Amino acid sequence: MNWKNVKLVFHREVRDQLRDRRTLFMITILPVLLYPMLGLGVVEMMLTFSEQKRTVVVLNADELPTTPAFLDETGIMETWFPGGHDDAARLQIITDLPKDEVSGQESTGRSKRQLSPEKLLENGRALAANFSELQGVTDTEDRQAGLREIQDRLSDSFGKSGIQVLVMVPDGYAESIARLQSQDGVTEAAAESSLPPLQVIRNSADDKSAVAFARVQSALTRWEGALRSHTFAKAALRSDLQYPARLEWVEVARGDEVAANIWSKLFPAMIVIMALTGAFYPAIDLGAGEKERGTMETLLISPARRIELVLGKFLTILMFSIGTALMNLLSMGFTGQHMASAMGANLPGAASLELPGMSSLIWLVILLIPLAALFSALCLALATFAKSTKEGQYYLTPLLMVIMGLTMFCLSPSIEITPLYSVIPVVNVALLLKGLLLSTAQNSQLIGYAVPVLISSIGYSILALWWAIDLYNSEGVLFREAEKFDLRLWLTNITRDKEPVPAAQEAGFCFVIILFLQFVAMKYMKPDLSGSDLEAGRQIMQTTVIQQLTMIACPAIFMGLLLTTSLRATFRLRMPSWSSMAMGVGLAFLAHPISIEVSSFMVDQGFLPPPPMEGLARINELLQSTELSPWLLLTVFAVTPAICEEIAFRGFILAGLARGNRLGMAVIVSSLMFGIIHMIPQQAFNAAMLGLILGLLAVHSRSLFPAIAFHLCNNAIATMHAKNGFGIKADGVFFSKDQGMLRYEMPLLILCGIGIAIMVARMIRDLRQEQEAKRLSRMESFDAPADLPAATAITTDNLTAST
Amino acid sequence: MIRVKGLCKEFNDFNGVFRALNNVSFEVRPGEIYGLLGPNGAGKTTCLRILSTVLKPTRGFAEVAGINVMHDAEGVRRNIGFMSCNTGIYDRMTAREMVEYFGRLYGIPEDKLQPRIDEIFDMLQMHEIRDRLGSKMSTGMKQKVSIARTIVHDPPVIIFDEPTSGLDVLVARNVLQAVMALKEQGKCIIFSTHIMREVEKLCDRIAVIHRGQILDEGTLPELADRHNQPDVEELFFDLIQRHDDNLEKSPAHV
Repeated sequence: MNWKNVKLVFHREVRDQLRDRRTLFMITILPVLLYPMLGLGVVEMMLTFSEQKRTVVVLNADELPTTPAFLDETGIMETWFPGGHDDAARLQIITDLPKDEVSGQESTGRSKRQLSPEKLLENGRALAANFSELQGVTDTEDRQAGLREIQDRLSDSFGKSGIQVLVMVPDGYAESIARLQSQDGVTEAAAESSLPPLQVIRNSADDKSAVAFARVQSALTRWEGALRSHTFAKAALRSDLQYPARLEWVEVARGDEVAANIWSKLFPAMIVIMALTGAFYPAIDLGAGEKERGTMETLLISPARRIELVLGKFLTILMFSIGTALMNLLSMGFTGQHMASAMGANLPGAASLELPGMSSLIWLVILLIPLAALFSALCLALATFAKSTKEGQYYLTPLLMVIMGLTMFCLSPSIEITPLYSVIPVVNVALLLKGLLLSTAQNSQLIGYAVPVLISSIGYSILALWWAIDLYNSEGVLFREAEKFDLRLWLTNITRDKEPVPAAQEAGFCFVIILFLQFVAMKYMKPDLSGSDLEAGRQIMQTTVIQQLTMIACPAIFMGLLLTTSLRATFRLRMPSWSSMAMGVGLAFLAHPISIEVSSFMVDQGFLPPPPMEGLARINELLQSTELSPWLLLTVFAVTPAICEEIAFRGFILAGLARGNRLGMAVIVSSLMFGIIHMIPQQAFNAAMLGLILGLLAVHSRSLFPAIAFHLCNNAIATMHAKNGFGIKADGVFFSKDQGMLRYEMPLLILCGIGIAIMVARMIRDLRQEQEAKRLSRMESFDAPADLPAATAITTDNLTAST
Repeated sequence: MIRVKGLCKEFNDFNGVFRALNNVSFEVRPGEIYGLLGPNGAGKTTCLRILSTVLKPTRGFAEVAGINVMHDAEGVRRNIGFMSCNTGIYDRMTAREMVEYFGRLYGIPEDKLQPRIDEIFDMLQMHEIRDRLGSKMSTGMKQKVSIARTIVHDPPVIIFDEPTSGLDVLVARNVLQAVMALKEQGKCIIFSTHIMREVEKLCDRIAVIHRGQILDEGTLPELADRHNQPDVEELFFDLIQRHDDNLEKSPAHV
């Protein structure tokens, strides 16, 4: 690779992007100007919103007890509000006390849209009348249903009344309280009807009403506390009897921890979204835009190699992605700090919203790089696939939505980084960052996760970049014309102009059908395992056979009949060599201990969730049961899947995927698909690993039978392993027993590993030699025909010849 | 300089296999302009894209400047210039930056690049637009930049794929003049078009291509003689008509 060309392309693209006003706007103007402006605007709006007075109407105010008094001449007494005067000033209290006692606060500064106190009182009375009428009607019937009806009918008139909270003091309220206080609370119970409740109407769906209600509620609660103390005093009871449990809540959060909590939610989300947004627009311009402007072809005919072009573009997008994320974070951080100090009073503890410490910020930058690299490569690949910038946006928007969904998932407070999450793209970076920003105490523990997070993120980025490079080498992608899809022609093509083996799309479609059927089976074909061993065993065996035949083998065979001309080629129905068959059987024996131990290691370390214990335990019980014939078990769990799954996965699907002669890719993708349909994570992992060997066997031997032999032996061994561990006794060196199950020890695993490595290496070497021979013979076909006179060697004196 | 023998190209799409080139053979010598004349969709662009190595042939032999397109694609690309109505220029680069960029991609050493750019700008009379951004250029100016970009590395073989398509007469004339000038410098030029006048004026030899096949080739007088047609237009229609008639009569046609 010529790095000079990469540098040239990079320089050109960066200069080009910097000359583009849209890009500059996205990476600089937006964060530097918009966020601070938006932040300030929001602060102003929030402050003015909470400053506005809310209207509370108190009806029958003179029925309130006088000791302790709830109201004074200014409205609700300031002592009842936790915030004192400030809280009181935010409510406009209208009471029906005689005029000279009513609060005068509302008379000043009332806007035209606000109703007069008289009108509000009138509305309040109408509401109260309406309420008591409705209550009267439904009181005798089901009270809940009645209240719902009241809510429906009342909320309409309440919304129009201009009142946010209506406090209705019942007639004889003070008197009833006095009576209650005079009664002997131990022996005499007052009749409920003689103690009418004080009712408060509000609408919690309306923010204004909710805000006013919260204030009125806290005032009423404090007032009620005072009333209770008063009652206790009158009854000659000690006042501390009111609080026998003596609860105390101790807050240990420091100001900076409150800040860390806020940043730990804001920064990971921002960094993910902004790194993606930063890659989004340059990628569309550098990928699809290049095609749209017609400069793609210009670039492709330069001597620069495709990989150099892609790397130059990728580095440009990466730079803008990182730049955008950092600019946005900085701007957000400072704006957030400013907002917090402006709203300090409303956000206790966050008044000094300190930015995260230096070490957290360094981690942030370190983690940002692989994340931005993944997004840049993904965006470039998708944008290269698109024909136009518009199409590019169509492809990239779903990516944005998926990433946003993952980010939302990470924001949930209960989600913390685990070994499994540490290898899931995007989620790993967001969760690690969240942890690092949240607490400084656990940092050493979290930094242990940095290794899998960084390695997996870099791995994903390389894969995505490889995909982008691959697309740049694809004629179909670079010169994709807007080919018109003609249903008739297409149908004719797939049914009449059939090829011996299926196309990759057909293989993909077959997988989707099988996957869908597996979901259906999982939902509707659950075997009932509750009966006797014999009954449950019969159920599970029936379900397995039906599922294997109808939902895995049938779709593949049917598609093979419909879409291909050669079942022999599609399903690799060729006689294999004896050595291939032996290799299949041998590999099954070698792979079994490793697959058992590796998957339980993954579960133990937390990389895979443990399998559902109940179901598994029952199945193990059934396998161990003496009521079921071992031959029947082997037929159901070994022979049937070996044939059905191989027909589908190493037959139809692998044949389709391998048609482009990309055998490695075909084997990997088919094994991933094979893993996915196993659904349970542990089984899926095992199946995907074994799928690699199965695929390799099928491709190497050009026959399905060695793969069937491997699959059959593997399942038979697994069944027998679960049944009785082959009767092998634990010797402590090669074998051990754990809870009755046979386990394999390290020396045995190493021996098996060496055996597998030798056979796999041999198969890969054979395949490589074969591929190379094929490539050479293909290249020879492009040589000059024998009858063409020899070419005169050029003596070019053009400028590039000197380099 | 260009030798093509039995070249085939097939594309797979939704609607099946499409054969864009079917057993195409021809040769172009240095100092010669070879015209590829054919209607839209005849396979001209596919053929020229194979010669410039951005597409790979399905079968057959193609050699440019003595280098097999399948064996050393980069070597071929160093020795050709390619220009088509589709090859665009960058909006946010000036004429000089653009030519410089491609010059550097072709690996021209810095001390040779600047004199070469001056030489080309002289030849194409484009000094007054050297610092103008692509987005501010007229079609004619863009076309000049495209030509400058095509020849900056002084390639022995130059491929023009419908370079005048969609241009007004004045601009098209400038392009054709540039092509003539290049021929005089001894370049091997292949020129595809569907405009008859250009062929008559420019090409030393022509090939009529239709449905991915070369129907006939030779100098204009040779072809006119062979098919007994007075001019190139009549000749063209006659060849295409006869080919389509044959296809319809042939039982293999579906």
